[in-house]
Amino acid sequence: MSDNYKFDTLSLHAGHIPDKETGSRAVPIYQTTSYVFKDTEEAAALYNMEVGGHLYSRISNPTVSALEQRIAALEGGTSAIACSSGMAAMHLVVTALCSSGDHIVASSKMYGANINLLQHTMPRFGVETDFVNPNDPEAIEKAIKPNTKMVFGEVIGNPGLDIMDVPVVAEICKKNRVPLVLDATFNTPFLMQPFNYGANIVIHSLTKWLGGHGIAIGGAIVNGGNFDWGDKEKFPTISGPHFALGGISFWEEFGPSALTAKIRAEGMYNFGPSLSPTNAFYLMQGIETLPLRMKKHMENTHEILTYLKDHEAVEWVKHPDLETHPDHEVAKKILPKGSGSIIVFGIKGGRKAGQIFIESVQLASHLANVGDAKTLLIHPGSTTHSHLSSEAMKEAGLTDDMIRLSVGLEDIDDIKKDFEKGFRAAKKLIK
Amino acid sequence: MFINFKGAKTYVGTGGKNLETNKTTICFIHGSGQNHLSFVQQARYFAYKGYSVIVPDMPGHGFSDGNPCRSIKENAEWIYDLLKELKAKDIVFVGHSQGCLVGLELNKIYPELLKGIIFVAGSNTISVNQFLLDLASSNPKKAYKMMVTWGHGKDGAMSIASWPGHSYFGEGFNVMNMNIEDALKLDLEACNEYQDGEDASKKINIPALAVLAQYDQMTPLKSGKKFVDIINNCESHILDCGHFLQAERPKELNLIISSYLDKLENIEII
Ligand SMILES: Cc1ncc(COP(=O)(O)O)c(C=O)c1O
Repeated sequence: MSDNYKFDTLSLHAGHIPDKETGSRAVPIYQTTSYVFKDTEEAAALYNMEVGGHLYSRISNPTVSALEQRIAALEGGTSAIACSSGMAAMHLVVTALCSSGDHIVASSKMYGANINLLQHTMPRFGVETDFVNPNDPEAIEKAIKPNTKMVFGEVIGNPGLDIMDVPVVAEICKKNRVPLVLDATFNTPFLMQPFNYGANIVIHSLTKWLGGHGIAIGGAIVNGGNFDWGDKEKFPTISGPHFALGGISFWEEFGPSALTAKIRAEGMYNFGPSLSPTNAFYLMQGIETLPLRMKKHMENTHEILTYLKDHEAVEWVKHPDLETHPDHEVAKKILPKGSGSIIVFGIKGGRKAGQIFIESVQLASHLANVGDAKTLLIHPGSTTHSHLSSEAMKEAGLTDDMIRLSVGLEDIDDIKKDFEKGFRAAKKLIK
Repeated sequence: MFINFKGAKTYVGTGGKNLETNKTTICFIHGSGQNHLSFVQQARYFAYKGYSVIVPDMPGHGFSDGNPCRSIKENAEWIYDLLKELKAKDIVFVGHSQGCLVGLELNKIYPELLKGIIFVAGSNTISVNQFLLDLASSNPKKAYKMMVTWGHGKDGAMSIASWPGHSYFGEGFNVMNMNIEDALKLDLEACNEYQDGEDASKKINIPALAVLAQYDQMTPLKSGKKFVDIINNCESHILDCGHFLQAERPKELNLIISSYLDKLENIEII
């Protein structure tokens, strides 16, 4: 009989038990491209997806699979596919669900690359996206068309920190028979598990909090197994005959895991955005302490919020756990443990002050990442979102003076002291 | 494939190949609250090996419409009619759990129908505890979770599956959740009420194969062993896993079934 292990235990153990031969407690790094077949029959069985197993590491690998199973367990999904980056995960999902002539409804307030892919790249392949305000369920419903194949958003938007009312949007998607795909990078399954609120597919950038140490790029797709792909006209490449495997219907053959099987057989096989086994090992090492880190991330975030809120050098502070945030009530409902460790704030003195602040702090690192154990800062207007017009920036909830802070795990006094240095330097120069 | 059978849309998996029932046909029948997907790693395997494969979703299960059968006998009659409809000959029956009771009953009523019978994680009597029966009726989703937890060995708890990147718990729950809400309750009641298993076991006069699970909490190994002992001619194996043996030990099970099928063909030649 199996036990239903809890989150902290699964973070450490899911996907691996010490193997019988060596007893290795840690997940071994299977640094190999391929796997010797016992005979031609076994080889054929793997190629035909008759049974599970590893064939070639572009498609699956035992170390990567352990990571996938750990993520699937933490999210409560049927299965997961780990890949080379969060963006690879996004691209795999979009290409698995959409073909030329299809349509996507997406949040207008998302990570720049998510927007770029849908706004500029996919239209070249005949897939159009309508962007809508993620907090406006009515607008989301209105934007859904007969050829809409996915509704996409971020649970916590990057960098605007808008919170999507997931259960409400999920209900709309269910009614319209469209899968709800969520980028859950900023919440991680520790803060919120989207499948519990009706989402169908979850995407992660493992690069961020799940990996947690800024040492490896990776992504994952988690299949909730809770969407009915049976409409052959709407989802012909999932439920109808697919060119892979002699006209297979993934839906009939694999049911709740149909999408995973399709992404393996088509996306991983034909595009090849595989994750290296060594990076899978690093990311898994990070996940082992996810619950501990997330607790401390949230603790420090709440301390820094109090500090910034009343600081004379700060113009405004935005975080969904603050009552002043427009999505505070939604955040309380779906993110009761906290709304993540990103804070955005505006520094008095605008763009120039922001620049000096960022260049004067020493402990916090100025770089293009979030979710590291270390405190990170960036000025989106001149970096991640620099390619967007001011209008598009406003649409994405951004301003020139805005600093995005990813709160780390350092001693809170040291973070505050470091910030004081930055604020003082900014103030001096402005004067 | 989807067919219209007894006035209801009915799904019959064929392992990804067109059905050609002029060959030996393996008919896989799922257990309580399950559907054809419990044989994911057998259906394609045996179809690609050249067998004709039939894996139906019983009424109200998986992709099949209709109301679930109310008794083991009713299940057996439904399958008999389906096999006739599909013109299946040379039939080897594979049942998992409740499917084993259905196979016993089918062979008892139609002793000439099958040429082989395979029991996976089964017994000839399945008494269901009252708690699970009540839960299946009051809160089916909770009952699915409980069955999936009980049904897998220690790999399941650690989200380790033989299929890369898969989790037995998440998958098992969602497979059960495809069925109509009443399906599990009616299946469990049918199992609980079935009393003819011993008699039917003694009537088996075709080569039988039983593959039992060491850590089976749904149909305990002890009961499975007792069952095997009263069958005339039964080869038996025990695998180190839980009740959902075909998912947990697919390769081992497939090899055991293959070698049994080879022997079965040889018996005919001799
Ligand atoms: C919300 C969100 N999604 C996706 C990504 C892309 O992840 P990756 O860098 O792993 O491709 C990022 C990266 O910043 C992100 O913030």
